[in-house]
Amino acid sequence: MFTQVAAPEAAVGEPRKAHRRPPLAPYLYLLPAVALIGLWIYRPMVEGFGLSFYDWNLLPTSPKEWVGLENYADVVTNPEMIAAMRNTLVYIAAGFVAAVILPTIAVLLSRKVGTRSKSVYQGLIFVSFLIPPIAAGAVWRWMFAEDSGLLWTAANNAGLDLGNIFRDPSTAIWAIIAIMVWQMLGFGVLVVAAGVAGINPDYADAAATDGAGSWRTTMRITVPLLSPTLLFLGLMAILLSAQWSFPLIDLLTQGGPINSTTNIYYLLYQLGFQSFDAGLAAAAGVVFFLLFGLVAVGFVLLSEKLNFHDN
Amino acid sequence: MAEIAISGVTKKFGETVALDSATLTVNDGDFLALLGPSGCGKSTLLRILSGLLEPTAGTIAIDGEDITDVSAKERDIALVFQSYALYPHLSVRANLEFPLKSRKVAKTERTARVEEVARILEIEHLLERKPKQLSGGQRQRVAVGRALVREPKAFLMDEPLSNLDAKLRVQTRHELTTLHRRLAATIVYVTHDQVEAMTMATRIAVMNDGRIEQIGTPEDVYDRPASVFVAQFIGSPPMNLVPATVESREGQIVLHGEGVGGSLFVGDVPEFAAYVGVRPEHLRVTARFAATGLSLTGTVEMVENLGNELHVTCRVGTERVAVRASREDGVALGSPITLTADVEHVHLFAADSGRRLEWIEEPSTDVVDSVPAAVAV
Repeated sequence: MFTQVAAPEAAVGEPRKAHRRPPLAPYLYLLPAVALIGLWIYRPMVEGFGLSFYDWNLLPTSPKEWVGLENYADVVTNPEMIAAMRNTLVYIAAGFVAAVILPTIAVLLSRKVGTRSKSVYQGLIFVSFLIPPIAAGAVWRWMFAEDSGLLWTAANNAGLDLGNIFRDPSTAIWAIIAIMVWQMLGFGVLVVAAGVAGINPDYADAAATDGAGSWRTTMRITVPLLSPTLLFLGLMAILLSAQWSFPLIDLLTQGGPINSTTNIYYLLYQLGFQSFDAGLAAAAGVVFFLLFGLVAVGFVLLSEKLNFHDN
Repeated sequence: MAEIAISGVTKKFGETVALDSATLTVNDGDFLALLGPSGCGKSTLLRILSGLLEPTAGTIAIDGEDITDVSAKERDIALVFQSYALYPHLSVRANLEFPLKSRKVAKTERTARVEEVARILEIEHLLERKPKQLSGGQRQRVAVGRALVREPKAFLMDEPLSNLDAKLRVQTRHELTTLHRRLAATIVYVTHDQVEAMTMATRIAVMNDGRIEQIGTPEDVYDRPASVFVAQFIGSPPMNLVPATVESREGQIVLHGEGVGGSLFVGDVPEFAAYVGVRPEHLRVTARFAATGLSLTGTVEMVENLGNELHVTCRVGTERVAVRASREDGVALGSPITLTADVEHVHLFAADSGRRLEWIEEPSTDVVDSVPAAVAV
């Protein structure tokens, strides 16, 4: 006869109650940072939002006067504000060129250069980023100085009269942009170079054995794979170029001549801390915060879409 | 398909010689495995074949045409990467189309070829997916597909199975073998896995330290390893090697050493030092020495039961010797053991050069005192 081989004996385990409490420690570790951010970033933001409905001259002794949405109406009709916004767009466009387009071209062109000379080249470009904007502005002002500056003399010898470049409404903004581009280029090159270094070289090799030339490989493989980096830089350029230009404007033109170089941050500063119109400055701040916030959200959504890194 | 002739190809990186005068012909329709440990130069040779790396010296020809100076882009050779290198931002279809678009193939033909390859590899349902939505095995198929779709003269594959799990690897091995037969393609396949090389290749080039140690069919390489390195690289467990002295005694070539004895051929040679090689499956557990062939005596150090057989590790002199024994052999841990092997299963290697020694019957018996009749291969 047959006997069936029995399975090993199995005991039924007692059901267990969940005893472990969710741990508290991680939240405690987070607490100091969160508290400080709340205190120094979010609290002033909320207070600034509240301030935007009042008319107030920042003096603790003078009363705040409720004006409703009047400040906001001022923001969108004030001709100074409109000039500042137009200039801001110009600065952003210039920042985009300086931090994204030029660095990408520079890095892609320098790919074939030997490793050591490439480091030297990228190091040299990056140095300009390390110079404080105030120092850079001061040096460039000398170089642009009428009758004696290095660049002025060079342009003059080439038959180009720069005049007093920071006093001419049609040229002042371009002089500031030139300094800004010079400074931001290094930052862009550093980030793009890191992005390119992070791309697995197998992709370019695969494209080469697939019969693609270097132009096709660059446009169809390298640049798309670089797009998360470019997107990050683009966001940085948009958010930071208006701020980056601030010290240069303050040092070189104070927003003039005839508001031709001012941007929204500089105007905000002037409204709030030179004209002491706290309400109007706060209202403008809220408007710009929302606009830049929208841009940032758009970029974040886009970057999620462009995120290919799988292995 | 095509024949690839590699002649004296050397690659130096600074002072380091990665590849030393590799010479080898890949015949039309060959599935040639470049087999060796990491750092042996096999991937360097593959990259040189693909055109991604320039050799320091030597030439490469396809069907008699010198292509040494032809760029990777212009060579009609497809390469499958170990990482697969599927373009992560492109769909499977766009990945497959990429080499065709690069070569400006017309749209209708492009679509037809992609569909055809997808059908062969059974990836039709994946065409619209991105690489990150694929499993490892599916990615591997797409990588092979991207090579197939071009209909190149030859395929180069750089360890394409190393990222797959064991089960999938066996399955893919079968598929690649079938694909090779079906296309009659010339394939150069880099691997460090001797099982892949043995099972798929029609010929194997075993590489070590930048040099090609042996080129031959899987049977050649397994049955007649040309050097100590090849003997120990191929086979699992690898061939046993024990040092011994070879000399003539009473008209017989005999072996002796610590725990080693044996009588091999009729003949006469001056005494010399050698390594005696024997594969674990050719050793028999016996009670007494054999009259001819190899005999080893030692102690049993370890017994591993695999179910169908035992892997026994013995200590013979100072060496460890692996034996594939049957459970009926009654091997006991710690007890003395006697092992024998037939003459045809005994391999001899020169102790100094590590090269294989082949026995050649002397043309006439009256030649005495001549050079050793054993010649290094």
